[in-house]
Amino acid sequence: MAIYSFYIFDRHTECIYSKRWLQQPQSSSKQARPTSASTTASVEMPARKALSAADDAKLIFGTVFSLRNIVKKLGGEDDAFLSYRTGDYKLHYYETPTRMKFVMLTDTKTNNLRVVLHQIWANLYVEFVVKNPLSPVEHPGGIGVANELFEMGLESFVSSVLVS
Amino acid sequence: MNPAPPAHAHAPSLKTPLTTAQQQQQLAAGRNVSPSPGLRYPSNKKTIYDRNLSRSKNAELSRAAFGYLFVEMIGYAQRRVRGVADLEKRLNAQGYPLGLKLLDLLLTRSPLPSTSPSLRPTRILPLLQFITTTLWKHLFGRPADALERSAANADEYMISDNEPLVNTYISVPREMSQLNCAAYVAGVIEGVCDGAGFATRGVSAHWVGEGGGEGGKGMWPGKTVFLIRFADEVLEREEILGKNG
Amino acid sequence: MAIIKDRLVVFALLVINKAGGLIYNREFHSGLNKMSSNDYLILAGTFHGVHAITKSLSPLPRTQSANGTSASAPSPFVNRPTGLEVLESAHFRLQCFQTVTGTKFLLFTEPQQPNVDNVMKRIYELYSDYVMKNPFYTVEMPIRCEKFDRSLDAFVKVKS
Repeated sequence: MAIYSFYIFDRHTECIYSKRWLQQPQSSSKQARPTSASTTASVEMPARKALSAADDAKLIFGTVFSLRNIVKKLGGEDDAFLSYRTGDYKLHYYETPTRMKFVMLTDTKTNNLRVVLHQIWANLYVEFVVKNPLSPVEHPGGIGVANELFEMGLESFVSSVLVS
Repeated sequence: MNPAPPAHAHAPSLKTPLTTAQQQQQLAAGRNVSPSPGLRYPSNKKTIYDRNLSRSKNAELSRAAFGYLFVEMIGYAQRRVRGVADLEKRLNAQGYPLGLKLLDLLLTRSPLPSTSPSLRPTRILPLLQFITTTLWKHLFGRPADALERSAANADEYMISDNEPLVNTYISVPREMSQLNCAAYVAGVIEGVCDGAGFATRGVSAHWVGEGGGEGGKGMWPGKTVFLIRFADEVLEREEILGKNG
Repeated sequence: MAIIKDRLVVFALLVINKAGGLIYNREFHSGLNKMSSNDYLILAGTFHGVHAITKSLSPLPRTQSANGTSASAPSPFVNRPTGLEVLESAHFRLQCFQTVTGTKFLLFTEPQQPNVDNVMKRIYELYSDYVMKNPFYTVEMPIRCEKFDRSLDAFVKVKS
């Protein structure tokens, strides 16, 4: 199991926290494997690179928002969008009662991480961000989310999840 | 076909078999012809025209390949037609030459040791049996489902097929519900009858599965009847032959 | 256990053409909310867009090792990102299959339905038989083929 990235969106649709755990071994692996297939890969690469992290977050929010609406429309108000999978990655989704959205991108073989996302919210976000007296009520631009305790907690929690 | 045939090919002793060297010479001359880039014609005599007619008897064709071909045939026939009857007429015309040729081919292949191999049916019943068994098996891999004579008109015969192979993939749109693409098969039947010397006043394909309520529609929704109407002179001849025999 | 495994509950099937238009829409079992045909059209269009975005969102750099097919024969489609394939919600599971020509098949089943891949494959077969080989069907247009409907019914209902 591998975790690629993690996003938190607040109820104003803004991305208030994002983190990537992207291994970057492709430079070495590319040299190790000089096959013709790498030409097609390099053609597509610049287009991907052009998207900044902020654009990525916006696209992810748009996707998640649309899918969540589709799910609610088809399955009723009590239905919940859990995850989707493509050939390359899997996106896990958890929405809190306050309409905060927790999103995690992992490899395709990972089982549903709804419980993990719930724990991140309950044990890390609520503990270290909401209960932090120095943190503002809302987090425009992500102010007050990425504090030291939250970062450390997230890092250790994710590595414990990865091990299990 | 050779542009520069060896001179001795035109010699009067044409019937004497060529020596191996001569044959090779001929082959070499044939090979000198640069093949046209578009149409490739195998020089080693492996086209279907060179094959023995009796062989490739059990060769089967992919149903999907036929399906797509039939799609294009109908698309072609559908251009510049007015109405369903016109379209059926065109499909019928496409099937007719196939019937003519199949009659020859199947009679050549028919395994009747006692009689001459290419004896065509001369009475109505053997002809119809030839159609429902030999022809049907050759085209569709099974005999037709029923053969009847019309009670009302003596000149009308009916061959029914519960599920015509040509209609396997076809859903006729509602606005053309009268259309039956098995009109193509009707054309084949007409070609066979005509080729055997049984003039017809037309062979047509009709739906019978529909409209019959729950009974007809349930089992064979695509059941089709081919209505064969023989010309008057055929019936006259049949009568005379019946008296004599 | 075996009985449950063989049971097939398909809520609905949608076919979306390569331009994002809904060309086929059919419900088999009730279980999803009733939607108007207009809602289905919107859903198809939205999904078409989302599918394109999910395709571009891949966090992995597109290398030949990404999907482990580098050893197999070279194919122009191996390195293509696939876009959304399976969506899970609490009440249903949505499987999306995109043909190489860009037509999308959306199959809504129960969340724990096994072997949806096979079901999808069979539906694609039925589509290529009774829709693509039908002389009266125009490509990319709404599918109105009686035999396709009937064969789908036979396949889905017999298994359920």
